[in-house]
Amino acid sequence: MLVLGIETSCDETSAALVADGKTVLSNIIANQLELHRKYGGVVPEIAARRHTELIGYVINEALDAGGKSLRDVEAVAVTAKQGLVGSLLVGAAAAKTLSYSLQVPLVGVHHIEGHIFANLLSNPEIPLPHVCLTVSGGHTMLVYVRDYCQYELLGGTVDDAAGEAFDKIAKFLDLGFPGGPVIDRLATQGDRKAFAFPRPLLKAKAFYFSFSGLKTSVINAFKGQLASGETLPLEDIAASFQEAVVDVLLAKTLRAARQYEVSTIGVTGGVSANRRLREVFADAGNREGIEVYFPALSMCTDNAAMIAAAGHARLMRGQANDLSLDVIPNVPLEVQHVG
Amino acid sequence: MLVLGIDTSGYANAIGVADGERVLADFIFETRNESLAKIMLNIDSVLKDAGIGLGDIEGFGVGLGPGSWTGIRIGVTVGKMLAYSTGKPVKGIPTLEVLAYQARDCHSLICPIIDAGAGGTIYAAFYRRGNNTVHQAGDYYIGDLPDLAGMIAEPVVLVATDVSKHQGVIGQLLKSNTVAARESMPGGATVALLAAARLENGEPDDTLALAPLYLKESTARAFVNKYSKRAQAAQQG
Ligand SMILES: [Zn+2]
Repeated sequence: MLVLGIETSCDETSAALVADGKTVLSNIIANQLELHRKYGGVVPEIAARRHTELIGYVINEALDAGGKSLRDVEAVAVTAKQGLVGSLLVGAAAAKTLSYSLQVPLVGVHHIEGHIFANLLSNPEIPLPHVCLTVSGGHTMLVYVRDYCQYELLGGTVDDAAGEAFDKIAKFLDLGFPGGPVIDRLATQGDRKAFAFPRPLLKAKAFYFSFSGLKTSVINAFKGQLASGETLPLEDIAASFQEAVVDVLLAKTLRAARQYEVSTIGVTGGVSANRRLREVFADAGNREGIEVYFPALSMCTDNAAMIAAAGHARLMRGQANDLSLDVIPNVPLEVQHVG
Repeated sequence: MLVLGIDTSGYANAIGVADGERVLADFIFETRNESLAKIMLNIDSVLKDAGIGLGDIEGFGVGLGPGSWTGIRIGVTVGKMLAYSTGKPVKGIPTLEVLAYQARDCHSLICPIIDAGAGGTIYAAFYRRGNNTVHQAGDYYIGDLPDLAGMIAEPVVLVATDVSKHQGVIGQLLKSNTVAARESMPGGATVALLAAARLENGEPDDTLALAPLYLKESTARAFVNKYSKRAQAAQQG
């Protein structure tokens, strides 16, 4: 089954063709970073306007690059849950129109479910059940993947997403946007132990994260250095901050794996491209006898191929939507009990 | 030419079908933030009521706004993808022109008004009738009613969804009874008629490039202020 996937939940306009839920024929991602860079964050109204301009071109290019025509499309999958409402609406309007016009099934997908499938597309052998950590600028979530389309949400962030903390600190230190890649690069030159930043909720039993206090500590450390007139060790600040984030993410994810008695961890989302995070998770996996899977770098950030794959899985389980499909900007990943 | 017209710029959405000058269907529905949920189902039922299928439609018309940014993006995206997927042409029509056209029997100056959201700001433009259609006179206007009143120097008919409040203010300001008013909502069939005329003239829009008519800048400025204030507070705190 050839599924056209559409993803516009944040600032990437993406369309993809995926065959049978596993073969990616095309995955076009139009990045809006240049438009948002000067604001140090994604401006919702600018993102929604840009999606409207780009959506037709991106879908057309996905078909071209995949060597298919609209008539070959057998279903349309779209991100309908979790994201910026104005952005979600554009992709959903396009998906609904195509479903109606082409008379093919429509399926709405939760954005986080898409990230779970990014790992499956990159690593078809990833075992079930597993624990999946999805971590990006927009979300930080720990999910027990019992089976595809059957999830248990273990915890999320109570304030900033992990990637958001990277962005805000990069903005404060005037390093540019997005913050993840810049801090990743700077940190390779820095001392990870230079600053003892807090590890929020590290010991807490629940699988919740908090990165707001850590962000404040980093900003205070920066101001302390500034006040004492010392030269600013940006590399050390970056490395120490990044280490604190990775420590917390790893500790919670490992604890979830133990509690749910699984020997497989998947890490997805934009922050899963972070080199230190990959290194620390891989080392811990070796030490603890746990297999750790990461998507290909092209599948880490938001993309429509992962939405098409998730949509295919739902369609195979008979879970199509009708034309009344609406978007829901903020909703937990639903627990699905199938058959 | 059989054309499907839609306009989603206001609190109610409009869908209509026209064949040349003949209206086959004209439907207005209140959305209450359910524009996306309702639009495709309503397009389907309007087509069915008109006794035609999507495959019979020869072109599409889309109201470009101004109005609700979110609403217009839904309509523009739906119109664009209908045209793209059926291989038929599409034409965007400014919603102020749709309102003006609906008052084309008026001999005076025609001034459609659309609320621009918070703070009493309005969008407007002036049109004159001619050849059974309307022609825009001057630029689009964005501002407040007193300022708009200052631009009126001849008898005018105001056209708006909630026109009485505008008429009251402007009539007071001008101390004149040359201000008439007409309550009107942009109709889907009007969008279809206006689009058909242009499509028959061989003036389609570039389908994939179709975009809303934004007369106001985005909220990016407010976003910057919010963040710079926060950054300042963090620096001082
Ligand atoms: Zn994401």
